[in-house]
Amino acid sequence: MSALFGTAIAVEVRKAAASRVMSSISAILIGGLAVLTFGILVGAASGDEQIVAKLGPLAGAGGWTGLVGIVAQITSAGGLLAFGVALSWMFGREFADATVSGLFALPIRRSTIAIAKLVVYLAWALAVAAVLTMVVAIIGIALGYGITDAAGVGNLARVPVLVVLTALIAVPAAWAATIGRGLLPGIAASVGIVVLAQVMAVIGVGAWVPFVAPALWAIAPDSVPVAALLVVPSVPLLFGALSALAWHRLQLDR
Amino acid sequence: MSAPSPQRMPRLEARGVARDFPGGAGVHGIDLAVVPGKVHALVGLNGAGKTTLMRLLLGMLRPDSGTVHLDGVEIADAPQAMWSRVGQLVEHPLAYPELDVQSNLAVAARLHGLSRIRAAVVVDGVIAEFDLARYAGVRASRLSLGNRQRVGLAAALQHDPALIVLDEPTNALDPAGVILLREALLRRAADGAGVLVSSHHLDEVARVADQITVINDGRVVGALDPGGVDLERAFFAVVHADDVEQSVA
Repeated sequence: MSALFGTAIAVEVRKAAASRVMSSISAILIGGLAVLTFGILVGAASGDEQIVAKLGPLAGAGGWTGLVGIVAQITSAGGLLAFGVALSWMFGREFADATVSGLFALPIRRSTIAIAKLVVYLAWALAVAAVLTMVVAIIGIALGYGITDAAGVGNLARVPVLVVLTALIAVPAAWAATIGRGLLPGIAASVGIVVLAQVMAVIGVGAWVPFVAPALWAIAPDSVPVAALLVVPSVPLLFGALSALAWHRLQLDR
Repeated sequence: MSAPSPQRMPRLEARGVARDFPGGAGVHGIDLAVVPGKVHALVGLNGAGKTTLMRLLLGMLRPDSGTVHLDGVEIADAPQAMWSRVGQLVEHPLAYPELDVQSNLAVAARLHGLSRIRAAVVVDGVIAEFDLARYAGVRASRLSLGNRQRVGLAAALQHDPALIVLDEPTNALDPAGVILLREALLRRAADGAGVLVSSHHLDEVARVADQITVINDGRVVGALDPGGVDLERAFFAVVHADDVEQSVA
């Protein structure tokens, strides 16, 4: 890692840590998911017909399987939106706050800055995945699910994988925020990915489509081959490269 | 022809730079040089092309034709490290709203390639130079427009660049800020920096500039004598003469 790349990462970490945006998204994602999950579990346990109907097969699953299934459903939609908003802010804010002109005429390439943003984003997503998994584990233990249940631990391990995969497929938001010169295009792209993933997952197609595989895997793990999940990193690789290229070729002509 | 000596080589040179926008706006074939130790001022009416020219000079826009050279190297071929010797503020200060003044300056110093230790030293120095000590711990989002401009100027100048490019640097500054900026620019020019500033304020320009170039409708249309007695009248005479010439052509 070159010294200037390290500098770019340090700068992005400083900005992300100082802003309330990233901490707010973390709190809303983790706290919101915990509250929603708990509420759904309580609703299902009390026999609420609407909740039971929406849960489908998960309603009768119970234990770690039911808990992780609910978390996975929420994460695949809400998490994707949250990650997309975070990326939209990290990239689009340079245009919205008009700081982008200060990122020209520097010894650090703008493409390096863009890659540094993605590295910081992925590190943050890993941290979110770890905390979210701990929160789900605490909820499960609090509900009396056995900690020695090997199948339960296996189910729990799906949570961080799904969170990270969801974070990866949100990367096009960075490219959209750059091309569109602001936050809203990135957020719009995130909503578009959520809709695409959910619709295709519900109709059961697209196990090999990287945008769809995590959501489909979240709903029905057996319907998605492991190899299909391995294709998911092609999204951040492609759109990360496109984002870096867009920052490299950026002109202040609008 | 022999190459110019390092002392005489322009820090920044535009040769026939043009960039056209729909509707006829833009700049249309401008030659310009910024030499070491001198302050070169660009003056022109709103929309004359000053900001577009500065963007072209700093790589924020790519020219349709012509070239820009930084210390004799065309900027498209210039090693990235050469930009560490440049300080610029075009339109908006580099001031992140969530960071306080000290952090913003530290970020700018690091982005200009300074080590963490060196950055801390120059930040302390520029905070004193621009009288920002009382705001050092204040977030940029809570600063007045004028103080945010001071932060942006400090960020552009703190690493003692060899080339300084400032677009309307006195925007929003109070009289004390204008004097601080003037002294900061003259000090750096005396140390060998080449300085390019654009301004509407002809009185202020006359106080700092060694050379004044008049831009009109995206072209260089004349020069003014910084020591002249009525700069405003001379400026409008040059612009008016160009407008008449263009309307006849």
